[in-house]
Amino acid sequence: MLRTEKVLQLRGQHGRSVRVVREHYLRPDVPCRSGLCPAACPRDGKLLSDDVTHYVVPDCKVVQDYLEILEFPELKGIIFMQTACQAVQHQKGRRQYNKLRNLVKDARHDCIVFANEFHQHSYLPREKGESMEKWQTRSIYNAAVWYYNHCLGQMPVVMVTEDEDAIGQYGNETEGVFVISFKNYLDNFWPDLKAAHELFDSILQARRERESESQENSGKEYPEHLPGEIVEAGIKSGRYIQGTLNVNKHRAQLEAFVRLQGFGSKETARNRAIHGDVVAVELLPVQEWKGRTVALCENETEDKAPADTTGDPMPTGKVVGIIQKNWRDYVVTFPSKEESQSQGRNAQKVLVTPWDYRIPKIRISTQQAEALQDYRVVVRIDSWESTSVYPNGHFVRVLGKIGDLEGEIAAILVENSICVAPFSEIQMSEMPVSSSKNPWKVNPEEEKKRLDLRDTHLIFSIDPKGCEDVDDALSVRSLPSGNLELGVHIADVTQFVAANSYTDVEARARATTYYLADRRYDMLPSVLSADICSLLSGLDRYAVSVSWELEKESYEVLRVCYNKTIIRSAYKLAYETAQGLLDGDTGAVDDIPELKNLDERTREKKLAELVWAISKLTEIARHIRAKRDSCGALELEGVEIRVQLDDQHNIHDLIPKQPLEVHETVAECMILANHWVAKKISENFPHQALLRQHPPPRQEFFTELRECASAKGFSIDTRSNKALAESLDKAYDPQDPIVNKLLRSMATHAMSNALYFSTGSCPEEEFHHYGLALEKYTHFTSPIRRYADIVVHRLLMAATLEETKGDIKENIFSNKDLEELCRHINNRNRAAQCAEKQSTELFQCMYFKDKTSETDERCIADGVIYSIRTNGVLVFVPRYGIKAAAYMKNKEGLVISCQGDRNCEWKPGSLHRFQDKITSTTTTGESVTLSLFDHITVKILVQTSRCHADTIKLEIIRNAPYQAPAAEVSQKNFHVVKSELVKAVSQSAEAAQRAQENARAEVMAEDYQKYCQSKGRSLYQLLEEIRELALLDVSADVRT
Amino acid sequence: MAAPELLSDEGYRADGRRPAEIRKVRARMGVFEQADGSAYIEQGNTKALAVVYGPHEMRGSRGKALPERALVNCQFSMATFSTGERRRRPHGDRQAGELALLLRDTFEAAILTHLFPRSQIDIYVQILQADGGTFCAGVNAATLALMDAGIPMRDYVCASTAGLAEDAALADLSVPEEAAGGPVLALALLPAGGQLAQLQLSARLHQERLPRVLGAAGAACRALHAVLDRVVRQRLREVAALLGD
Repeated sequence: MLRTEKVLQLRGQHGRSVRVVREHYLRPDVPCRSGLCPAACPRDGKLLSDDVTHYVVPDCKVVQDYLEILEFPELKGIIFMQTACQAVQHQKGRRQYNKLRNLVKDARHDCIVFANEFHQHSYLPREKGESMEKWQTRSIYNAAVWYYNHCLGQMPVVMVTEDEDAIGQYGNETEGVFVISFKNYLDNFWPDLKAAHELFDSILQARRERESESQENSGKEYPEHLPGEIVEAGIKSGRYIQGTLNVNKHRAQLEAFVRLQGFGSKETARNRAIHGDVVAVELLPVQEWKGRTVALCENETEDKAPADTTGDPMPTGKVVGIIQKNWRDYVVTFPSKEESQSQGRNAQKVLVTPWDYRIPKIRISTQQAEALQDYRVVVRIDSWESTSVYPNGHFVRVLGKIGDLEGEIAAILVENSICVAPFSEIQMSEMPVSSSKNPWKVNPEEEKKRLDLRDTHLIFSIDPKGCEDVDDALSVRSLPSGNLELGVHIADVTQFVAANSYTDVEARARATTYYLADRRYDMLPSVLSADICSLLSGLDRYAVSVSWELEKESYEVLRVCYNKTIIRSAYKLAYETAQGLLDGDTGAVDDIPELKNLDERTREKKLAELVWAISKLTEIARHIRAKRDSCGALELEGVEIRVQLDDQHNIHDLIPKQPLEVHETVAECMILANHWVAKKISENFPHQALLRQHPPPRQEFFTELRECASAKGFSIDTRSNKALAESLDKAYDPQDPIVNKLLRSMATHAMSNALYFSTGSCPEEEFHHYGLALEKYTHFTSPIRRYADIVVHRLLMAATLEETKGDIKENIFSNKDLEELCRHINNRNRAAQCAEKQSTELFQCMYFKDKTSETDERCIADGVIYSIRTNGVLVFVPRYGIKAAAYMKNKEGLVISCQGDRNCEWKPGSLHRFQDKITSTTTTGESVTLSLFDHITVKILVQTSRCHADTIKLEIIRNAPYQAPAAEVSQKNFHVVKSELVKAVSQSAEAAQRAQENARAEVMAEDYQKYCQSKGRSLYQLLEEIRELALLDVSADVRT
Repeated sequence: MAAPELLSDEGYRADGRRPAEIRKVRARMGVFEQADGSAYIEQGNTKALAVVYGPHEMRGSRGKALPERALVNCQFSMATFSTGERRRRPHGDRQAGELALLLRDTFEAAILTHLFPRSQIDIYVQILQADGGTFCAGVNAATLALMDAGIPMRDYVCASTAGLAEDAALADLSVPEEAAGGPVLALALLPAGGQLAQLQLSARLHQERLPRVLGAAGAACRALHAVLDRVVRQRLREVAALLGD
């Protein structure tokens, strides 16, 4: 190693300039990471592929300004020089730098970092009097030349720069190393990559705008942010408060909250912070504190009437600094023609409205405003100067037409940062081959390594009808000692998804399978999920098995073991069939295809075995459940209703209203397996195991629940999970079962989210899972659709290997990586839930959009009031599973009143809100009172909005329960109605598409086939998910 | 501006070293003629001078003399010009006093003090330029000076710092790395037997990570040992040549 020194002039603590000397070591062994390297560079890690026509070396300016374009996967063979990376780090800040780091880490992008400043031959010291920029350009050029020579000229190197002098100076200096401008590069090498050109133009324009603006520098709209050190010191001394800004969805202009250790601080002086940013807040004096607005509000942007602030004043503050910006891609809509004319003055700059209410309008400079009018468009925010009312951004790409199903779904995906391109060829090439002609077979070598359960165990799976991706199977048998052996067998996905393979990277990025109302986006390619990893009956499959030896009487666990196994499932049962067998229903036998074509005696014998196993399982499950209940496990209610469709978009499976006992049996076995695996991995890896925790909820969030319950005369004890479970069971109104359902859903809303975490980042007493009442819990049983399970599988394998073969810790994440991964998975799960909810709402709106209550019976339904506001009520419509607001005072200030036949009308009058009821009194003296849990008849309307998602609105039309002739029937079949809804909408959307563009229709239909739901999920998973969804979904909108 | 990272994704530290690599070491023994032993060491930009007198009779208060072994008297000081900004460091400053005590503990463990009852050994360490690991450079210089003075020791005393960047252990920290706020572990090792003569930790460090950091510091000490050993042998050859004349 050579040692040199760098002399730097730095600003010292007191503003004095300090001379600092730093060592700088140069070495010959910096790996070049090229696939073509003829020398003996180490070849571990990511390599540049050799099937490109050239390597491209962007200089500092290009990396700083056009990183987004370099992110295009089409651009290959990119070498980021260390000099350029450091420039980004110093000048662009952490966010941009992390973006660059992630790009380099991502195995799917063909780009690398070359540490040119540490290489003996490519390092150039900065000369006296040389400017930083000049030195950087010179270093990068020199490194590019070195790289070209290092590869013996096999591959031309193109350096792209924005510096005209450099192009002139170096352009012809070395043969094989070209220096051109970025625009030139895109034009010459990627003339067909239209998206990149557009993005280039829009970034360039945004930059020019910014430059010209900074020269103008007109009057300031916002106070400047405080410098970082002052904010940091202020936070430490307690003068400022740090927190994440949370904008109120319903009053985006007026209210935003910062949630910190439980109390919210409301502030209107948001000072350029955007929803999701981490900010520092300074509290205002007490006399300026404001209360929370309780009135319902229509989300109209022009509606700026001062809201009547009621409620107790709460701490109010203003933002003094933004600690971390959380900008992402935003879906926006360009203003319609009429609106844009009023804005007209500056034709190139357009104010666009984001889809998300919480995001302010964004100023875009583009010439395509007219052409993009009817489309949903993605933009990015570049900056927000204190001189500007709105942030500046640039246009990125078009999603689709407004109101078009595909466009809207794409908007939902972008808003939740979900990226689901089809699996690439390179990923598919990693998959094992399995076709109907040439089915996949067990590898004989692998067979020797695994425990063979094919002949010794009776294994079967219980799933919904028609399910294809079976990731779990069960077995039970009695041992010679008289004890029982219970086995849970989970598909061994990790066998086919090697750590850090392309498929693994992709699955990690997706983190979960995304389920939207009408389609789904798989985490793993379907060859795995539906075939090789699916534990189908009669086929040999790899599995990971957990088996317990249970005491024969008490079912105490005596011994547990974890094995890699080969299994052959004997039966693939449907829930209904299994329940039929359990109940002794002989008709159920006909539904088992595996028992057909057998003679009478073998059939009888096999059937008896199966029935014994199922009933034994049920008995064990009851036992475990009872034990868990005694610790305080909660039974929670998710109001969400799910629809399952097959690939022709027909109703395929409906969730029965009353879950069968078999569901619980299967769910209980899975919980048991998850629990024991959690124990095992947290013991073996006390600092790097992935577990799932559910922290106990804060008591103050239960206030609303307690108040609501007391309105009906129930008392809810929320002190512990056990007390809560018991009091929720008691709060049952025999006349109105919905009350209990609503109370349970309120309880779930009050709870915090269940989250994945790494055991190294959290003290052991916080591992507890509140909802399930288990001290340790993880996810192990669905590796096909959750990435967390894959990680847990790897951990479990490493844990068992460690015991037999000593220390094998490869592919185990360190605590820090795991923590980051957990954050990512939690984040993705939240996005998945949001996307699912939004897509359901989208379908609801599209369904009701062109129906009017006069012509359509379906728009009128029965609703239950579950919350009272000053100018209206929140209503739950059980038939469609809709929660929405109903106003009692309209825009003209008229209030609702009822006639003798209890039909409602609008009349002048006033409203009075009480704790658990609301009364409207008209000027003529009539009054109507609505109280909590009253049944009313509502009309369902859709409030359309050009820029945002449509919303459902309710209108009270009768102050009495809905009594349509078909009410009974529809009540019973409300799931049917719901699924009809999705079907109707998607069919009409498809029809519209076909009519619109005949040519494209077929392609689209194909895409449809690819993405739409092709298989059902097992019902226990659904139930489990509902349970957890309920735990997770603490959305703020319910409390507004 | 984003905070600089200690270890890049490519596995380089800010100055181009890999996590386990130590800085360049240069050393000379016998830099002063008048003292019994002296040595000068450069570890990167940290430069230290050590001078040893003794063993000799007790000076000053004779009452302090120990009946069964020699007294090791240490002084540790930093030159006013040793840092980027000149700062006066009076002799009595607390940090220097503390380091002198640590130095004494370290060498009492290494010198065969029982061979010289009722006598005194003086070790003076002066840091000429500070760039991280000043105490360790002082220990290494003192070892060479003691060797130069011909004072019998159990083994070399080699010292090095180590720290943590996220999860990787870094050996031989420079000033910016020390200033990053992570834990800094200073280890003085007797390499032949692997005994620890001194172990110091500046911040809280999880038990789980201690072995990793300790391992890195130990490896750095052994690497230093190789260098110091070479210096001593080189010096021995030179002196032998002089004696031969």
